[in-house]
Amino acid sequence: MSEVELSCLAYVKMFLHASLFPHCSVNGLLLSSSSSEGPVCVTDCVPLLHSHLSLALTTQLALTQVDVWCAQTQQRIVGYYQANASLSDSSPSPCALKIADKIAEQYSNAVLLMIDGRKMSPDYRVPPIVMYEHKDSRWTLKDKHTIMLHQWEETRLIASQLLNSLDRTLLVDFDSHLDDIRKDWTNQKLNAKIMELASPANGSM
Amino acid sequence: MASVSELYDVTWEDMRDKLRKWREENYRNSEQIVDVGEELINEHASKLGDDVWIIYEQVMIAALDCSRDDLAWSCLQELKRQFPDSHRVKRLAGMRLEALERYDDANKLYDSILQDDPTNTAARKRKISILRAQGKSSEAIRELNEYLEQFVGDQEAWHELSELYINEHDYAKAAFCLEELMMTNPHNHLYCEQYAEVKYTQGGLENMELSRKYFAQALKLNNRNMRALFGLYMSASHIAGSPKVSAKVKKDNVKYAAWAASQINRAYQLAGRGKKENKCSVKAVEEMLESMQITMS
Repeated sequence: MSEVELSCLAYVKMFLHASLFPHCSVNGLLLSSSSSEGPVCVTDCVPLLHSHLSLALTTQLALTQVDVWCAQTQQRIVGYYQANASLSDSSPSPCALKIADKIAEQYSNAVLLMIDGRKMSPDYRVPPIVMYEHKDSRWTLKDKHTIMLHQWEETRLIASQLLNSLDRTLLVDFDSHLDDIRKDWTNQKLNAKIMELASPANGSM
Repeated sequence: MASVSELYDVTWEDMRDKLRKWREENYRNSEQIVDVGEELINEHASKLGDDVWIIYEQVMIAALDCSRDDLAWSCLQELKRQFPDSHRVKRLAGMRLEALERYDDANKLYDSILQDDPTNTAARKRKISILRAQGKSSEAIRELNEYLEQFVGDQEAWHELSELYINEHDYAKAAFCLEELMMTNPHNHLYCEQYAEVKYTQGGLENMELSRKYFAQALKLNNRNMRALFGLYMSASHIAGSPKVSAKVKKDNVKYAAWAASQINRAYQLAGRGKKENKCSVKAVEEMLESMQITMS
């Protein structure tokens, strides 16, 4: 059983995505820039949709374009995340399983992360994430101790700091990109902000 | 914290008008409504005249959305004092119970409204949204169908039902709801595009052709609808790539796809002009279009 490492950048964007659309289901893709074998290391994520998760067109478009972008930037898609509209439901929907299956076809160590809405309060002590891994062509719940988030405390603070500032509106998902194509779903601006906030925290590493 | 009026240098009249605009256009920008509305209520309530009541209602619903129960509660008290027997205020009290997840209590309240007035559509719809919140989709679908048998003209309800069916992957029924909406709103490009997306998801040559037609129609109604433009491109590409179609159909669809691709490229070039930030997404789209052209021919 392998461990999964989640970067501050990826977590903060997932968290903001789910927080910005509290009444919707949201989903997105997990990316990795490390090519090494061994533990899956999620370095970034692309927020995809906040409406009609189970319609094929936007998902297809998004997957193709993210794939192209990944090839250009030496990254790969290593997983999928979703937060359900209903707070009490953190189980993967059929559509989550389907997309995650597709990703697992390309990358066998793929992970499926569900955000647990109940635990999303900023003072919660562990990451509000439920993790599934692909085993024998099924998705099985993994022990939560296998998610590693270096410097969780700092990450948590950065997430709530951004959520409470206007910078949260910098987050762009693929859905909002289609509404206004001037918005950039690779989120360069927000990434820079997160890195800036994270840099003193990472100084010790 | 600085007040909204200082921060944006606006008068209370501006704030009132802003709230009216959001109300009329059915925006769900609850955080902003709370920011503006709370200040307006606290500092200018006496100047608002009869507008104050509808503002209380608007701010209360937004406050529930932001889990600001303190604010919701105080708005509700004002409304209760002014309209002690109103069903509309009673419904708001029910919505507050829903926000607190006291669904049984909320249901009781709605039932009492319905007992007085069986045609109170708002209370019935709230009961259906409770089912949705509890994750009881199939029950919500059943209730909504029963509701629509009585109130066939309720477009909001048709739209809600289409969403429920989409979530349940019941695309044929979702398409039926959207057909209903298109019939009453033939000029609404969003219904058209959504219908096309449902048909696209259903797949198969026949559905794909319908989907292409409706994406095209959506574009005709609004040529800035990017989803429809991408949809036209994707559906035409699929049809052109199908081994079952005649040479003429193939040729036509290659033409449609090429037109859509050129329009997409143009839109991205216009949008990307002089901007660095979206360089990455523009490049991704260009390469996607190129790579798909190869697979089509």
